[in-house]
Amino acid sequence: MNNIIEIKNLIKYFGDVHAVDDISFSVQEGELFAFLGLNGAGKSTTINVLVGVEKRDSGDCLVNGISIDNISKILPTIGIVFQFSMLDNKLTVYDNIRYRAMLYGLNKDEFKENLNFLIEKMDLKDILKKQLGKLSGGQKRKVDIVRALIHNPKILILDEPTTGLDPRTRKTVWNLINELRSTKGLTVLLTTHYMEEASIADNVVIIDSGKIVAEGSPITLKNKFANDYLKIYKYDKSLEEIVKNIDIPFKINKEYLEIKFKSTQDAKNFLVKYNALIQDLEIVKGSMDDVFLAVTGKNLKENI
Amino acid sequence: MNFKLELKKLRYLTSRNVKIYFKDKMTFFVSLITPIILLLLFILFLKSTYEDNIFNILADYEVDKKIIDAFTGGWLFSSILSVSCITVAFCSGMMVIDKINRTNIDFMVTPIKKSTLKISYVLSNLFSTLIVCFVLLIIGLIYLAIVGFYISFVDILLIIFSIIITSLFGTLLANIIWYFTHSQGVLSGVCTLVSALYGFICGAYMPISSMGTGMQSFVSFLPGTYATVLFRHSFLNGSLKEMSKSIPAEIVDGIASGFDVKMSFFGNDVSLLALILVITLSTILLLGIYLLLSNVKLRKRIRVKNKNK
Repeated sequence: MNNIIEIKNLIKYFGDVHAVDDISFSVQEGELFAFLGLNGAGKSTTINVLVGVEKRDSGDCLVNGISIDNISKILPTIGIVFQFSMLDNKLTVYDNIRYRAMLYGLNKDEFKENLNFLIEKMDLKDILKKQLGKLSGGQKRKVDIVRALIHNPKILILDEPTTGLDPRTRKTVWNLINELRSTKGLTVLLTTHYMEEASIADNVVIIDSGKIVAEGSPITLKNKFANDYLKIYKYDKSLEEIVKNIDIPFKINKEYLEIKFKSTQDAKNFLVKYNALIQDLEIVKGSMDDVFLAVTGKNLKENI
Repeated sequence: MNFKLELKKLRYLTSRNVKIYFKDKMTFFVSLITPIILLLLFILFLKSTYEDNIFNILADYEVDKKIIDAFTGGWLFSSILSVSCITVAFCSGMMVIDKINRTNIDFMVTPIKKSTLKISYVLSNLFSTLIVCFVLLIIGLIYLAIVGFYISFVDILLIIFSIIITSLFGTLLANIIWYFTHSQGVLSGVCTLVSALYGFICGAYMPISSMGTGMQSFVSFLPGTYATVLFRHSFLNGSLKEMSKSIPAEIVDGIASGFDVKMSFFGNDVSLLALILVITLSTILLLGIYLLLSNVKLRKRIRVKNKNK
């Protein structure tokens, strides 16, 4: 597959703050790409440079092989949902979407067709004539997403799109995105600090203090940076003595014994060796939280 | 084809800006504060004060009340229009509101030329002002038709010209100031200040002729004063002509000077053509400054872009 987005040695400083400090990565056509990091890590600055909102200090960003110096050629192919809604609170939902759609040169039929499809999927039909400022946060977010997709972009950039959304709205949003990915090959570049969102991505880049600290598919990252856990529910009590004597981290909970392994192979070896003492167990892969903690030394949940 | 598409985008952006101005009740109300104050002052005491003044001057002559009503009504609506062209222009601009709401960022990621966006701000600002002023004009003409109508067709054309040129003048002046503004505080401050002060400066609340000599000299350097006198002339010329049928010319002349239908620049009478030329040339000058500012910003951007390469 082609690289639809390429970031090459991108640098952006704000005075002494190294917001983006020489980062390079690429996003393949059709993939869901997650950009993971804490607030202030440099995610939004990278996105802002990519879409021409901020000027870069050096490096380059290419979209479909076109440098962002020719941003006017790139913008028609991009739809973006910013962290905060930038639509007009005084206008109705319909007017907001219509005025933005017309700026992409859509004719009335194209607009109607796209609008009908999107409002149906986003369940916005009943509030189309309502003033945007009077909607709830979740409804506004859905309107932002419709605005970003109204011109059939090839790339959808989502800057913390589901922050503060209830699970139902989040599901509606992801159902639409997944449908567009499978039917239209939509590429999605997502910045997030939600682990569930990062773990469904095809590829993840973790950014910390403006630098990329890890990248790869979620499973590669987990294998590389996170530990496997063995949760043993039914076991011979002698197993507790054994784990105390061998030097591996473990916890004894009410219902299970949890042992942490450096690699899957170590877990397998342990199981083979003590098979006779174990009756019921579960192998748990390390989470993206563990990966994040391992590569940044910071706990994602504590810092958001 | 591209030009046609850009025109379509300009049309939608302009229409969006105008719609937001009229939907934002607070901004709409603030921009109409001066005309509302004027209307209240007129109803409460200005009308009777001016009527008394005129009746005192014309004590020895027989004058139809209808002409006096037409004169005071014309004075009111020339005041209302001369201030509204400026105050509405200052309060109906979307450029700063978009900067405050960060909507300008949304437009930055949309394929529109920066020049199209800028033109849309000026055009919508102008259209919003024109819509309000033409509605006020229609109300004024209806009122005058009821109390006494002495405005000729040429005077109506002159009023329309005055509305357009003064609104354009106000719009350009406002947009030049908005160029340097990003904050809600400055926007509200300038808007309120202009709304409150402009009525005094341009002689809308009280005739310039009743101001002190220093103030009179000062306002004679302001292009807005010429616009006000142009409005006065267009609205009151007909009533004065009607008065002159039964009243000596020097008395009518005195009323004309006293109520700003005529103005002088350091003792020299300013002709109608001169009034038109001053406001038109000032507007052209502001247009030049606005274009220059846009160009300087554009050049700065190109320099930054080249530096990045």
